[in-house]
Amino acid sequence: MDREDYGKDEGRYMICPRCDFNQAYKIFEAPVDKCWEVYRCPRCNFTWRSTEEEEVTNPKLYHSKFKLSERQIEGMAPKPPIPPLRRPQEVKR
Amino acid sequence: MPYGSLREFLAKAEAEGQLVRIKEKVFLEPDIRAAACAAAKVPGGPVLLFEQIQGYIEKQIAVNVHGSWQNHALMLDLPKETDIKAQFHELARRWDRYPVPPKRVGNAPLKDVIIDKNLSLFRELPLFRVNPMDGGFYLSKACVVSRDPENPENQNVGIYRLQVKDHDRIGLQVGAHHDLAVHLRKAEELNMPLRIAIAISNDPITSFVASTPLKYDEDEYAMMGAVRGEPTEVITSERGNLDLPAGAELIIEGEIIPRQRFVEGPFAEYTGYYSTSMIQAEIKVDLISRRRDPIIFENLYTGLPWSEIDYMMALNTSVALFKQMKADFPEIEAINSMYTHGYCTIISSKMRFGGFAKTLGCRLLSTPHGMTYPKLIIVVDDDIDPFDLQQVIWAMTVRFRPERDLVVIPNAPGSTVDPAHLIRGITTKLIMDATKPAFPDMPLADASIVEIPKETPSWIEKIMERMKGDI
Repeated sequence: MDREDYGKDEGRYMICPRCDFNQAYKIFEAPVDKCWEVYRCPRCNFTWRSTEEEEVTNPKLYHSKFKLSERQIEGMAPKPPIPPLRRPQEVKR
Repeated sequence: MPYGSLREFLAKAEAEGQLVRIKEKVFLEPDIRAAACAAAKVPGGPVLLFEQIQGYIEKQIAVNVHGSWQNHALMLDLPKETDIKAQFHELARRWDRYPVPPKRVGNAPLKDVIIDKNLSLFRELPLFRVNPMDGGFYLSKACVVSRDPENPENQNVGIYRLQVKDHDRIGLQVGAHHDLAVHLRKAEELNMPLRIAIAISNDPITSFVASTPLKYDEDEYAMMGAVRGEPTEVITSERGNLDLPAGAELIIEGEIIPRQRFVEGPFAEYTGYYSTSMIQAEIKVDLISRRRDPIIFENLYTGLPWSEIDYMMALNTSVALFKQMKADFPEIEAINSMYTHGYCTIISSKMRFGGFAKTLGCRLLSTPHGMTYPKLIIVVDDDIDPFDLQQVIWAMTVRFRPERDLVVIPNAPGSTVDPAHLIRGITTKLIMDATKPAFPDMPLADASIVEIPKETPSWIEKIMERMKGDI
């Protein structure tokens, strides 16, 4: 199945096991036998496979130490830091 | 004979009894991680080749390629029972052949299939979660190629952790001290995307040198040639004029989005701890080129040490530091930087004068790798084999005087994934001088070392022969 076949179909949104965002969605399924599906969360970039252990796939059972809140995401430091833009006269040609 | 591809190495490993084929169908989680972790814990751990993956056809997975001293010796084309110290000195000898420039080829199997529309990393690779609390599916052993935007002759090949976040998006962890960070900084100062290529499943010397802390101006491909004893074959990327290792299974091409960061991680690191989540750089993938199926996807298990990563980064880190320091201080005999990527580093050297051990400790901290990673530096005399921890601990117990021989450097740069930090990236360095006092330092009172009886080496041989029942 081609990747275009997976839309952000509102009816198929999932809850992200890690950050509890309610707009995670399916992005892929097993090429053979459709025996699993892969989902992604557009907020925290978490991805998971439907056949993984419940501690990874179930928002209620996800390890509390690894949960991410919107506030934590907003407070994250950039790595590496973003440098200042060079002024035009500093640009080497 | 050096290996031109992962496939050639797997054939050699199989012939030497260092490859185990897993023929039954396995699940991507948890089977691959559990088996990969086990492979490095088995004495003389073999390469594992998974031939059938649940949900895929014509995709195979290889793990633990570097994950034992036997595999490491085969990589260097040495007898598989070659001991660690002998491998160290052989690698140091080959280092001196640098540079052996790469040889450009016009075609290679990795160009058999080229995909630049509707591409999907999930379709092309049997990605799996390396450890349960990782933030996604990681490419943990891929070689990333980039060029300095201002000085394009400076090209870097390095292994960086890569989180596949979508069909065509990959998160990239790069520390400020890495060569790729220099390229990225310059591109971001100019608000330019940085072209990169990612080589998946390479011959073991390619990934070994890519994970070596070379100096900024040193060319990884020319070092690969030195280590293998003949030029490495490279082929030009489809876009962006990057040199690719011609033996790779699959190449991902794309660009780092400038001046933006996205949630990445966590990932179980070489420390044996999960790193935290941060916002990091991200790659927009626009092309994949690869061999025809079946594709062998090689990935790395990282976890509680020792795992494959500890073997892969052991002697390349040790020899790089050894060569960089020996250029200034020829007294140095050997360096062991095998523990937690060099967090603990042991330097063995003759002593020029009293206090010289502290000079060596400080010099280590000004090497590219030493700037950040080492935080426990032990200096021993040249009569101590730094790879024999029994000897090292003995030197620490009888030659180290805490009131005179301990140097503490607070607020120094450290690894950002060190779980012991109070401030991320800031650490305290500790230099322990476990050497005998040299003039003009005061000698130890009444200190006379007991010598091994001169007949003992021949007795060791005799005893070992009799234990084997030869006599």
